Amino acid sequence: MEPFDTAVVLTRVMTSGTVMSIEKADRELPGLERLLARQCGRPHVSLVNSSTAAVHAAVAGQGLGHGDRVDATGLDEPTVAFLAWLGITAGDGPVPFDRVRLTPENAGRLRELAAEATAPALVVDLCDLGFGPAAAVVTADETAWARAERLKIFGAFDLRTMWTQEESNPGLVPGVQFNYRLSPLVAACIRVALNQARASRGGSPRASEATAASGAAR
Amino acid sequence: MITDFPTAPLDPPGPADREADLAALGGPAMIGREVRRTPFPVITKEDVLHMLLSLRQDPAKTVDAFAESYRDYVGAAFALPTASGTASLHMALVGAGVEPGDEVVVPAFTFIATAQAVVAAHAVPVFVDIDPRTYCMDPAAAAAAVTDRTRAVMPVHVHGLPADMPALRRLCDERGLALVEDASHAHSARIGDHTAGSIGDTAGQSLMADKNFPLGGEGGIAFFASAEAHARAVDYLARHGIDYRMAPIAAAFGASQLERLPYYDRVRARNAAVLGDALRQTGLFEPPHVPEGHVHAYNMYRIGLRPERIGLDDLPVHAVKQAVHELLVAEGVPAREWQNTPIPCHLPFRHRDGFGGGYPFSLNPGAVRDHRPEDFPNTLAMLESTLVLCRELRSPVEYERVLRYGEAFAKVAARPDAIRKLAAGGDCPPPHRRAARLG
Repeated sequence: MEPFDTAVVLTRVMTSGTVMSIEKADRELPGLERLLARQCGRPHVSLVNSSTAAVHAAVAGQGLGHGDRVDATGLDEPTVAFLAWLGITAGDGPVPFDRVRLTPENAGRLRELAAEATAPALVVDLCDLGFGPAAAVVTADETAWARAERLKIFGAFDLRTMWTQEESNPGLVPGVQFNYRLSPLVAACIRVALNQARASRGGSPRASEATAASGAAR
Repeated sequence: MITDFPTAPLDPPGPADREADLAALGGPAMIGREVRRTPFPVITKEDVLHMLLSLRQDPAKTVDAFAESYRDYVGAAFALPTASGTASLHMALVGAGVEPGDEVVVPAFTFIATAQAVVAAHAVPVFVDIDPRTYCMDPAAAAAAVTDRTRAVMPVHVHGLPADMPALRRLCDERGLALVEDASHAHSARIGDHTAGSIGDTAGQSLMADKNFPLGGEGGIAFFASAEAHARAVDYLARHGIDYRMAPIAAAFGASQLERLPYYDRVRARNAAVLGDALRQTGLFEPPHVPEGHVHAYNMYRIGLRPERIGLDDLPVHAVKQAVHELLVAEGVPAREWQNTPIPCHLPFRHRDGFGGGYPFSLNPGAVRDHRPEDFPNTLAMLESTLVLCRELRSPVEYERVLRYGEAFAKVAARPDAIRKLAAGGDCPPPHRRAARLG
């Protein structure tokens, strides 16, 4: 993304005053979620603040945890080490997720890259786009999404409980929870970068979304 | 353009404001709907400029420069910037030498991340009650909870008031334990000349944008008193492939906010003093207790209720609280409970599934308890008899608002008849009977 566009999008979000993920007024995180859902062809997206958080959310979403085994073929050493830290070992088991690492060069091809994924969860690693640690888990399974969100302290479920004063899903009991929340300023930059990358390849993002100032008038 | 600039000014209160009928009974609200929002964090042209300049810098340097500036401000020996406060607490525990299956003593009243960070370290949280005046960990309760498997004590500087660190230090030294601070509410809080974050062997601190010292979104920082503790945390992240890096965008925002933190601290302290003076005049309300030599950061401002002072002692205190809460909200005061049940009674600690299959609780079954709220009487008493203001004391342009808050409390306290009618007439279970909430 051009430095000017990055500057505009950051200034726009800071002018809005909403830089926290837990604010009802935040529009950046839902905007990026919608974009990733559209481009990946799966309806549920959980945004997180690192690639390892996305790995955690992906396996937790499938109910995999301490004591389970997964097919770790093709996973790099740090990811296998991270899974081991979660108590998940390599062996006979499901392929836990597919992974797409987006860069400025391939960001315009997310739709095609996502279409090649076959595992129940797709980890979209957004770290190399240049806006800091960020990732997403994309899935067609609503329960997997819900479990991933429950992993986040003050994720969608905790916020609903706080706002309504009623436990929003007592049947989906969280275990360990982390603050894996992504910051709206980071999400805003990624959203514009993805839209511009798509547009530069001849894709058709909504016109308002391809500009750094998108969202300023809403 | 979407902006958080106020849409209307807020005037200082006048005599007619207090004499008016309660808003809940049809009178004018002390703070009208159009002026209720408290913008936070305050974002200035300096923040924008600094953010833009940081785009020209190596992102790692932006994070490192921020961490070094804040480490120096706090006075800690070593720092590790992280993606969140929870991550910083996790690293503080690891740096302190906490190992899988160890017990870590934590207060039953805190944000849930304190206890979840212990689980993240594959250790077991052991919950103890709080001091009834400071709402921080009770040192005597902590001492009683220590076993042969206890590795660390982790007090929380609740709402920004430092815990009784001298007493806890004595306990830790006597029993060979690490003292780990949860300083997530306590930016610039002090005991004497020592700033929160630099007092324990290690410390974790949230820097999310809802805190007195905000980054541009999410972030945290761990502090260490020794190079060994710092190295232990850094090695742990590498060995386990964990990515807890702070986002450079968040750090750039924090760097310019840090330059204004002392200014905001003074404004917040002034606002707390103004409100405290007003509350003392009401009879019904009581400001937070601050022990001699402690500097409270007022990340939150917890207000006590004394119904007996206005002839309401025949009513359950939680019913009086609920009635007062309703009346204050109608006046435009965004009072809230902030927590309604002890942390060990939240779902993750009732079910204790942890990482799956009960790990790490399964490593140390002897440390696990099926707690009831009544196990923590001081925590319950506090939850039943207090209300909280959160970000409402923070903004430097809000002096008029603090005056109006004081007037609103006075207006409500002057109407025990209205409080009684509400408290006696409604369905009012104690707070802990409702679904556990994080905030």
